[in-house]
Amino acid sequence: MKATRGIETRLRRASVLIAAGLLAQVLTFLIKHPLAFVAFLAVGCPLVAGGTVLFLLGLVSSVPEKSDAAGA
Amino acid sequence: MSVPLLAIFAIVGGLLAVVVGLRPQLTLSRGGKILAFAALFIVPVLSTWGSFEGHMEHAQSTSFCLSCHVMTDYGRSLQVDDPSYLAARHFQNNRVPSDRACYTCHTDYAMFGGLKAKIRGLNHLRIQYLGKVPKPEDIKLYTPYNNRECLHCHLGARRFEESSAHQKRPELLPDVKSGKLSCLSSGCHDIVHDVETIKDVPLWKGAR
Repeated sequence: MKATRGIETRLRRASVLIAAGLLAQVLTFLIKHPLAFVAFLAVGCPLVAGGTVLFLLGLVSSVPEKSDAAGA
Repeated sequence: MSVPLLAIFAIVGGLLAVVVGLRPQLTLSRGGKILAFAALFIVPVLSTWGSFEGHMEHAQSTSFCLSCHVMTDYGRSLQVDDPSYLAARHFQNNRVPSDRACYTCHTDYAMFGGLKAKIRGLNHLRIQYLGKVPKPEDIKLYTPYNNRECLHCHLGARRFEESSAHQKRPELLPDVKSGKLSCLSSGCHDIVHDVETIKDVPLWKGAR
């Protein structure tokens, strides 16, 4: 149960980061300015990267807990 | 991929991520797991890659380069009504694509040339917003202009190889091709942008 909650929390956090990152990327498309590219690199990319890494970490960390539960 | 398509792709990806975030229990089912993997990994990665390509593409446009005020005179130099101006002659005769006029000549046609050009561009942004912007006439190239960039298009062209000016001396063309003699050297194609004289020069009426 705890493991499921942990995964859900990670999924929520990852989705917030990814949604924010993709929103930032869309905004940088609307603004035709050299700084938009910098904003894309400095804001959009790190948010999306952070979200996907958090999601992947959630997947990896959930595997042993699942097998423990199956063993019990 | 076009900008509207990339934007739609990113918006759809963001909405999918929100759905998974609001309903994480979806991932208990097999379909939900696939949805979460698509929403939180595949779509964001593809969208970011596509967006990066889109930004890189836009950063090669003439309008992008000329969007900084200090480049205004360089933009005007493309429209000068005088064929002795090398940049104007290339721009007005479609020897360079008009929407990529700056990038065509100012990128290195070598490995990582495009990447180096982008890094230099980021440095220009730093100077624009955090440093002291030089006067247009004080802007110099980082390194002497490499003949390789000219030869990328002109090498092998009949007009280049058989031009009477290029045949004046037998060693001239071999020296140009080996880089011993610069195309932009004095007495040859030495008027390029010459922004210090741009205010007194008439502009071509048919300029875009």
